[in-house]
Amino acid sequence: MSAIEIRNLSKTYRVNRKKEGLWAAVRGLLRPEYEVIHAVRSISLTVERGEFVAFLGPNGAGKTTTLKLLSGIITPTAGTATVLGHVPWKRENAYRRRFALVMGQKNQLWWDLPAAESFRLHQQIYQIPPEQFTRTRDELTDMLGVRHLIHRPVRELSLGERMKMELIAALLHSPEVLFLDEPTIGLDVVAQYTIQQFLREYQTQKKTTVILTSHYMKDVAALCRRVVVIFDGRIIYDGSLSSLVDHLGAYKIITIRFANGTPAGDLARFGQVILREPPRIKLRVPRTEATEIVRAILAQYAAEDVSVEDPPLEELIATLFTSAHCTAEESLVPSPLHSADH
Amino acid sequence: MCWYPIRSSMSTAILDTNPVPQRILGRCRLWATILRISIQERIVYRGDFMLGTLMRFLPIVTQMFLWAAVFAAAPGPSGGDTRIVGYRYQDMVAYYLLTMLSRAFSSMPGLASGITREIREGGIKKFLIQPIGLLEFLFFYRVAHKLVYYSIAAVPFAVVFYLCRGFFLHTPHGWEWAAYIASLILAFLLGFFLEATIGLLGFWFLEVSSLLFIYMLLSFFFSGHMFPIDMLPQPFYTIVRMIPLQYLAYFPSAVFLGKVQGEELVTGLLVQAAWVVTFMVLAKITLQRGLKRYSGFGG
Amino acid sequence: MTSLRQYLLVFGTFARNSLIRDMTFRANFIIEFFSSLSWVFMNLGFYILIFRYTPSLGVGTGWGKYEFFAFTGTGLMINSLAAMLFMTNADNFGNFVRQGNLDFLLLKPIDTQFIVSLQRIDWSSSGNFFVGLLLLLYSLRQMNYVPSAVTIALYIVYMICGLLILYSLMFMMASTSVWLGRNETLFDFWFYIVNFARYPMEIYEGRFGRPFRWFFTFIIPVLVAVNVPARFIARPLKPQTLQDWALAGFTIVATVVMLVLCRLVFLAALRSYRSASS
Repeated sequence: MSAIEIRNLSKTYRVNRKKEGLWAAVRGLLRPEYEVIHAVRSISLTVERGEFVAFLGPNGAGKTTTLKLLSGIITPTAGTATVLGHVPWKRENAYRRRFALVMGQKNQLWWDLPAAESFRLHQQIYQIPPEQFTRTRDELTDMLGVRHLIHRPVRELSLGERMKMELIAALLHSPEVLFLDEPTIGLDVVAQYTIQQFLREYQTQKKTTVILTSHYMKDVAALCRRVVVIFDGRIIYDGSLSSLVDHLGAYKIITIRFANGTPAGDLARFGQVILREPPRIKLRVPRTEATEIVRAILAQYAAEDVSVEDPPLEELIATLFTSAHCTAEESLVPSPLHSADH
Repeated sequence: MCWYPIRSSMSTAILDTNPVPQRILGRCRLWATILRISIQERIVYRGDFMLGTLMRFLPIVTQMFLWAAVFAAAPGPSGGDTRIVGYRYQDMVAYYLLTMLSRAFSSMPGLASGITREIREGGIKKFLIQPIGLLEFLFFYRVAHKLVYYSIAAVPFAVVFYLCRGFFLHTPHGWEWAAYIASLILAFLLGFFLEATIGLLGFWFLEVSSLLFIYMLLSFFFSGHMFPIDMLPQPFYTIVRMIPLQYLAYFPSAVFLGKVQGEELVTGLLVQAAWVVTFMVLAKITLQRGLKRYSGFGG
Repeated sequence: MTSLRQYLLVFGTFARNSLIRDMTFRANFIIEFFSSLSWVFMNLGFYILIFRYTPSLGVGTGWGKYEFFAFTGTGLMINSLAAMLFMTNADNFGNFVRQGNLDFLLLKPIDTQFIVSLQRIDWSSSGNFFVGLLLLLYSLRQMNYVPSAVTIALYIVYMICGLLILYSLMFMMASTSVWLGRNETLFDFWFYIVNFARYPMEIYEGRFGRPFRWFFTFIIPVLVAVNVPARFIARPLKPQTLQDWALAGFTIVATVVMLVLCRLVFLAALRSYRSASS
């Protein structure tokens, strides 16, 4: 049995245009105005145990909504999903003991208390046996290097340290499924790296099923082999990251550092010049012609350094979105402001 | 409370080198602007205001029933007209309603705390360089606030007073109306300068909020808001009569109900006015000393 | 397997964590503590004043000075417990629901209503409880009355019922913020309603009083919250009339009904819960 099975899951919101004040609230009850938002449009997905999947997509695409549906925080408008055999929005205690959700820049730990106290509360709520709790806690705090900080009030910790504590809290009960919603957002590079490494090690060891949403391609590239791209509430790609790159990677980027200054001749005949910083030049060339072009340039000029790379991941994904957007535009019907009287 | 930037064209009109009439005109224009902006700010919350004001009368309902029970069992002539410290039951209810009205004039929500906040956050610096005084600015802001408040609160107040008109067995005669209105206006002035002075203590004490809290507490108990001061036994009665808090709620209501008459009424008004002047002076001095102290610290 | 023991343990941790937190903001705690005490003492002063002019509240109601103080003491105890255990949580719940911050509570393998209702305990309201208790003991002594064990037991039972009725009302009101939006005015409303219950229900007499009393006894049962336990302890000399027993029985029913209603409204609010957008 797969860990996560989603079939035609949809979530639609009706957003009331509410104004402040009791008077307006009363009037709002009698004559509500609303707007319809399709957060998730009939998505289907299967995730096997032990997989590490990334959800990729622009803001408002429906990644977080999907995670919230799988966590049982919100109920869907249509469709089904099971995680570890449970229906998430039934909010069974048995299910809640088996998974965890971590949201970037959102705290569940008590703000004014040391993290250790929040951990203790966690232990009681999840009914973790004492020896197991101590062992897990120490293991996790060591892995993240925050052992010395657990007795400091959470508000005194830096953003990165807080995030680490949140992760630890989420993993204390050794969940079988872990949902991570932008866990490294807003963190400095070092903290991001530490957390990435931690997640990789943890997941490899414990074989937890993980779904991670992130804006940072570094996270995705470092951790996941499978990528699900979500756009406008729909899944537009579900497969391995490498084939996504291949699929989109029609181009390669050639970077050359010339030995004797930038050549006077016109380099545009070799490819699209995207960067000119003497003595460095970056060219964008079709993938299949890359090696030929390099050979041609080196035949003519002396170069100190040459590299051939894929375009940055962000660019690839962005292209994917824009092309998806173009095809979606025909089907996009703008949703007007409804009034309740019809 | 927000501070609005004063247009420079305005301030040039108030340069001290101008002749007096022009200065006054300029100042009036400035005050009018402040009034207008403040009124606009308040109008937005109209509906909420009305409902909120109406709800503030709810505790009086409880008081009405409570006092009915008290009067029912109180010793007195059989056949009604029991009096407690000179109040009949209806007078008592009328008293509470009138106190609500007095409080509408004398309560200054946010005044003291606003001042201390400006001091703490440095907003007070403006008043070292601008030609308008802090007290003047606050005063006119408060007047604007009250005017708007009255215009909206007038509706629920009128409704309640009309429904309860049966309780007003005594109304002022002739000049007593003028005296009553005078006492309300004086209550406003007293409330303003009293709370402003407390707020200005923020130049010396960082946390005036505890002081303010004590003031609120004492004010509620000893201003007559909770019960008519006449009920207090000696020596408390004499002591309370010596402090100015009674003029915030008790005195105007007593004037209306005819508890203070003739010569006593005139004296009362004069004493009330004297307290107003006292606190006005106190506030000004506190402000001057405070600003001196403040700028001494380099701001 | 969530058991009563687990819930008690978790509650204990909530209490402990709240205490730690309150103690880190000591100045605030002290101010709040003494402000609620001062408010109580002011009201007591007022009541003492009243009884200088009348022997009882209402004719033939039996609420003389010390009986009334026993009533007030009971009210203080119940209200302080409501403020300690539930007020902050109800306030927070309203905010969580509107701002979509309930998420983390929904993830925990423990009843959501339990966490929502009890996770923050406001220790600064505890002072009133002891004042109420002292007042009650003082009044009993002045009345020269030592209640029997049965009376004490019933008193405690009905105090708990009163507390639960207040709780249900509070949380039903807080839950409505899912649908009604901003709930500040709602909470002012709470104080006004509870204000009616500060005095024995017998004061609500007359053309307006009687329907008023009926409404707040049988529809929104605030009045029974303090009145019923207080009657057990403060009118011992009068034999308990059939009416008293009927009211007591009704209180039990009302408590159950209110708790069930509260649960239903709470669950409905959770279903409509939207969660903040990311």
